[in-house]
Amino acid sequence: MRHPADLGKLESRDVSRAWQAWWLLLAILILGMQPAHAIPLFNRQTGQNCVACHAGGQFPELTPYGRLFKMTGYTLGERIKVPLSAMAVVSQSSVANTSKSLSPSTDFAKNNDFILANASVFAGGKITDNLGAFIQVTYDPRAVLNADGSYSGHTNADNMDLRWADRFVGADRDLIVGVSLNNNPSVSDPWNTAPAWMQYVPLPSPTSSQFIDATTPYPSYSSGGNIAGLTTYAFLDRTWYGEIGAYGTARGPLSFMTRGVTPRTTLRGLNPYWRLAWNREWGAHNLMIGTGGMYARVYQDPNDPSTIDRYHDWNIDAQYQYLLDPHSVTAQLVYASSRHRYPDAQGGQPASFVDAAGNPLPPSSFQSSTHLLRAKLSYVYQARYGGSVSLFNLSGTTNTANQTSGFDPATLTITATDPNATQLSLPVNGNLSGNPGTRGGTLEAFWMPVQYVRVGAQYTIYTRYNGASSNYDGLGRNARDNNSLFLYMWMAY
Amino acid sequence: MNRTRLSNALSALALAALGAGCANLERSRDIANPNVAAPVIAQQVCSMCHGLSGTAVSPNFPNLAGQTDTYLVSQLKGFRGHGRRDPAGFEYMWGLSRSLTDAQIEGLASYFSQATPLRQPVEAEVARVQAGQVIFEQGVPAKNIPACAACHGDKGQGQGMFPRLAGQHVDYLVKQLKVFQRSDDRPEGAVMKTVAHDLGSDDIANVAAYAQALPNR
Repeated sequence: MRHPADLGKLESRDVSRAWQAWWLLLAILILGMQPAHAIPLFNRQTGQNCVACHAGGQFPELTPYGRLFKMTGYTLGERIKVPLSAMAVVSQSSVANTSKSLSPSTDFAKNNDFILANASVFAGGKITDNLGAFIQVTYDPRAVLNADGSYSGHTNADNMDLRWADRFVGADRDLIVGVSLNNNPSVSDPWNTAPAWMQYVPLPSPTSSQFIDATTPYPSYSSGGNIAGLTTYAFLDRTWYGEIGAYGTARGPLSFMTRGVTPRTTLRGLNPYWRLAWNREWGAHNLMIGTGGMYARVYQDPNDPSTIDRYHDWNIDAQYQYLLDPHSVTAQLVYASSRHRYPDAQGGQPASFVDAAGNPLPPSSFQSSTHLLRAKLSYVYQARYGGSVSLFNLSGTTNTANQTSGFDPATLTITATDPNATQLSLPVNGNLSGNPGTRGGTLEAFWMPVQYVRVGAQYTIYTRYNGASSNYDGLGRNARDNNSLFLYMWMAY
Repeated sequence: MNRTRLSNALSALALAALGAGCANLERSRDIANPNVAAPVIAQQVCSMCHGLSGTAVSPNFPNLAGQTDTYLVSQLKGFRGHGRRDPAGFEYMWGLSRSLTDAQIEGLASYFSQATPLRQPVEAEVARVQAGQVIFEQGVPAKNIPACAACHGDKGQGQGMFPRLAGQHVDYLVKQLKVFQRSDDRPEGAVMKTVAHDLGSDDIANVAAYAQALPNR
């Protein structure tokens, strides 16, 4: 293991090794597998190229046809004998400043290292004329950071969406109806501004790569995934889309949907989910304006009914696409609001830290709210070269319970050790203000040498982090110290 | 107890959904089942890009309504046998046509050839349409380019192997003319390589503009 002081400084030997690894892998991929058939599950089922369903080949973003493929339950095509495919992401990330940390070896353990970020196996596709499935199981090689600094890998249930769907078409009507049994609110959604889909490069473990685009604020449902829900939806005349459903704990026969996830999310009863969208297609353009939401009651302790967090999430989203070979343009805009009501016993509690003069801070809040605005514009040429720019702004209420660093009541110096906590707070994720405010943007360029490989570089810039642009942790770390470069190669078979 | 009942109910619903969906020939999207009738494939599969009655919203996909029966059969067989291999063709159509039977192909051709082409707004500006009319009706004698009308009909309605051009998306016509001109990806249309060989980019844009505007003239 490298000495913490060496982290952030890349030795030339390491650089050349990392580059060798990138080029070797790319060469194997391009020379070893020529198109057009050695490609994933749905491609084998329909025999089509990625570009038919994914805008500019930029998976997972869907084209109008890809959305219909999904809404009709993945049943278009022919059933294939081995309904499996695989995907892997290798990556390398580099944070602007790794020295302003109390523990660089844990905060930036894999900084500048070429790593296998994660790997997934997919199963499903067409089962019958009305039934289809999308089942993803993911292996994360750095799921757990052990006390000795080593990592343990872990495999768990990822996105799962089992569907029944039918399409009633006539001279004056086009109605698609369906039912989805899934484990992640909005994973069933056909648009890529849905919380489950907007963040699109698979996320490496935050313990090994943080501050990259994938860990910036994205719209999400507070219940998280790996719960079980049944939703029913309809799409009328390719214009109106509606979906309603309810989610509960994935238990009993449905526990496969949360397999490998510990601790399992436990919800109280049924938690409603809804979605409404208006869609229009004209010429090479299409536009969707929609809204969705969920009310979730999540147990902190499944055995104690007094520990329920109540979340009320809703969002407004819009997506515009211009798709005409060789150009693909996508603009996405999402506003997401989340209101969180804490268990009664956790509100109004005295703060552990004090202010600079030693005066007590306000007690913890009974509820808090966040507002997230995210916009993204992307362009792909010839389904081969692309780029995107995205902006995010998360704001929210201040709550002293969110402070992970502050003035120690005894010494009146800044500490990242909560006097009432049993564990050391992560200093680089310290929050002196108690406010979640985080703002910035991500620039991306990518290249798809073949349709099932994407090589990308993202640079994420922060102008505000955890409620402040400078000294957000009280220990001198600034928002811009978190600016990050993220290189990735995403492969699917 | 309550929770177990809930998850059992969800599972029962899932199983019911499973049972409900075996073969559904009337509304199948199975492109490898010879028993699925051509109109069902047309409505459940082709319509997603080409429109329910063969008028495609997106210019990425050609209009099929009123296209000649012979041409549609030859294209579908060309996709199925990989004879036609221009990118737009193989990316989308090789897979979808790979298991179609001759009977299904003939049925699909019949479905779309009998569909009434919808009158679409003119896509290009008037000057292009007018310039294109000259090429369409008289060819370019100086370059030995024959009139389009000679084979495709005076109204671009098509005949037999010569496809209908009237009302076709400008973008599609331009791209296909360039495929003929610059590649051998459509051997069944080899004659077009000779015809289109000396057409300049402007000529291509003009003649495509006129053909698209044809049903409105």
